Amino acid sequence: MEPADSQAAPVARAHGVVKHYGATVALDGLDVELGRGVTGLLGSNGAGKTTLISLLLGLRRRDAGSLTVLGHDPQTAGIEVRERIGYGPEHHNLPAEVQAQDLVRHLTELHGIPPRSAIQRASDALWQVGLGEERLRPVGTMSTGQRQRVKLASAIAHDPALVLLDEPTDGLDPVQRDDMLSLIRRIGSEFGIDIVISSHHLEEVERICDAVVILDGGRVIRSGTLTELRRGEEGLLVEVDGGHDELAGRLRAAGLTVELVAESLVVVGAEPHDLVRDAIADLGLGLRRLEPRRRTLEDVYLEASG
Amino acid sequence: MSEPGARIYDVGYRSYDGERRDPWWAVVTVALHAVQRVLGLRRSFRHKVLPGLAIVIAFLPAIVSLVLAVVLEEKLEIGDELFTYGDYYFFVMSAVALFAAFVAPEALCTDRRTGMLGMYLAGPLDRGRYLLAKAAAVTGVMLLMTLAPPLFLMSAYAVEGLGPASSELPELALRILATGLAMAALFAAVGLGVASLTTRKAVAGVAVVLLVLVPGIVAEIAIESGGAPDALSLVGLLALAGELALRVFDEPPSEDAAIGRVSTALVVAGVLAWTAVGAAVTWLSYRRIEARS
Repeated sequence: MEPADSQAAPVARAHGVVKHYGATVALDGLDVELGRGVTGLLGSNGAGKTTLISLLLGLRRRDAGSLTVLGHDPQTAGIEVRERIGYGPEHHNLPAEVQAQDLVRHLTELHGIPPRSAIQRASDALWQVGLGEERLRPVGTMSTGQRQRVKLASAIAHDPALVLLDEPTDGLDPVQRDDMLSLIRRIGSEFGIDIVISSHHLEEVERICDAVVILDGGRVIRSGTLTELRRGEEGLLVEVDGGHDELAGRLRAAGLTVELVAESLVVVGAEPHDLVRDAIADLGLGLRRLEPRRRTLEDVYLEASG
Repeated sequence: MSEPGARIYDVGYRSYDGERRDPWWAVVTVALHAVQRVLGLRRSFRHKVLPGLAIVIAFLPAIVSLVLAVVLEEKLEIGDELFTYGDYYFFVMSAVALFAAFVAPEALCTDRRTGMLGMYLAGPLDRGRYLLAKAAAVTGVMLLMTLAPPLFLMSAYAVEGLGPASSELPELALRILATGLAMAALFAAVGLGVASLTTRKAVAGVAVVLLVLVPGIVAEIAIESGGAPDALSLVGLLALAGELALRVFDEPPSEDAAIGRVSTALVVAGVLAWTAVGAAVTWLSYRRIEARS
């Protein structure tokens, strides 16, 4: 079986993938392509993120559809796929009494790296994630943040083609989370390893990912690069001193789309600047703010999930 | 300008382009790691106590026999002052039963409790290869106890001129090999089968002890006082394993136990059935377990 190593080829491709747990539908005809770089899997709990990761790893069998990861079907060639994948699970449990370096070395050997090289790779990976000085400590004595780093070191030490990280910032404080995100971004950009990160934190995904797949109810409701997703009718953000309803009515009458968000109006339409200026002047309202509105990932997510 | 002899220590991340072994090496890696874990190697002293005790129980009588045979001037006889091979398996059996109860569960329970099972199955292993590695590790360590002491005893008796003629040694070695393999497989299957049902080593240990002792005692009472068929004694693991050793070495069956009246074919079938049930329970338990991802 020939692995797909082409630079342009997506790391994973799913078409019509269905997965049930009894009567519960976890994935409902999922179609998606996961490209190179860092891809974020976004969705609320139960959206299907963890199930998709399980299918990508070949740990569960899909009920229908087709799926390829690194050129192989993980259901029939799971071992070949997992050999080239690094994985950071969501749970924080690791063998407490084992030294970090021994754990990473063991998992590196598991992926086919000979023992002598595995020792060196494990040590290097722990230095890369900032645990060089702590590498001989038992994992059980480490903080949650350090254990997350140990999992990340285990995932990259055997130099995989793809790393899957399930909620890698779970349980971290803001400083640790910031460090972890920088580290993941660095692995994705400098180390040349493609990464799929599952998260329900929009700002994390927006900060480090090149592309995003938004899941809801087991389906992909939006996917693409961040630039593509943010593109669209951006409109104007208008804040005035009172008179929101009157202003909104005047603008709607002029053919613009107006949405009231908190104390602001979001105005969308062709060339709205002059119309907004004139309407505010006619109504004698005080203008606080008038600026182009940039779509954030949160806007995209809320829009997509209805 | 850099100083002469200056070196760059932070070379950043380096990709790996060296040798990558076949995925089957993952089985070897996990098996060797499991051997280390169950023997308490690279772990604190308390983890070495029980495996050490099991090995001492298996070896010590053989060493004492050899010392007696060498030190005492009078000629000792196998079956009188010295252990027969069939008798010797009482010690071997005690050692592997202790190991199956209190050491072997380490091979399975800890991985499930600590999440390592998920890490393993996210690597180039599947459930079958994972269980193969664990079974090989536990059986391998048990073989150390079921094969090495009797082989040592055979060598010692032969050197002292007590054993069979040299022409009969290969056949005796084959009998030792067969008994050792059967006993190791039997107790490994039982130990792993029970361990596959719980994540707690202590629970598994108590369960194995109860499984090894209680059915045999109940069966013996039922046979002696209730008139149950002698074949019921096959549920007693210790009696069954001990009887197998006696039959393999052509020694007289147990006189004071019901299993002594059971045919050799049924004894062999009993050992195979226990081993198969243990292996099946382990396999089915792991088929049900969802790897956490």
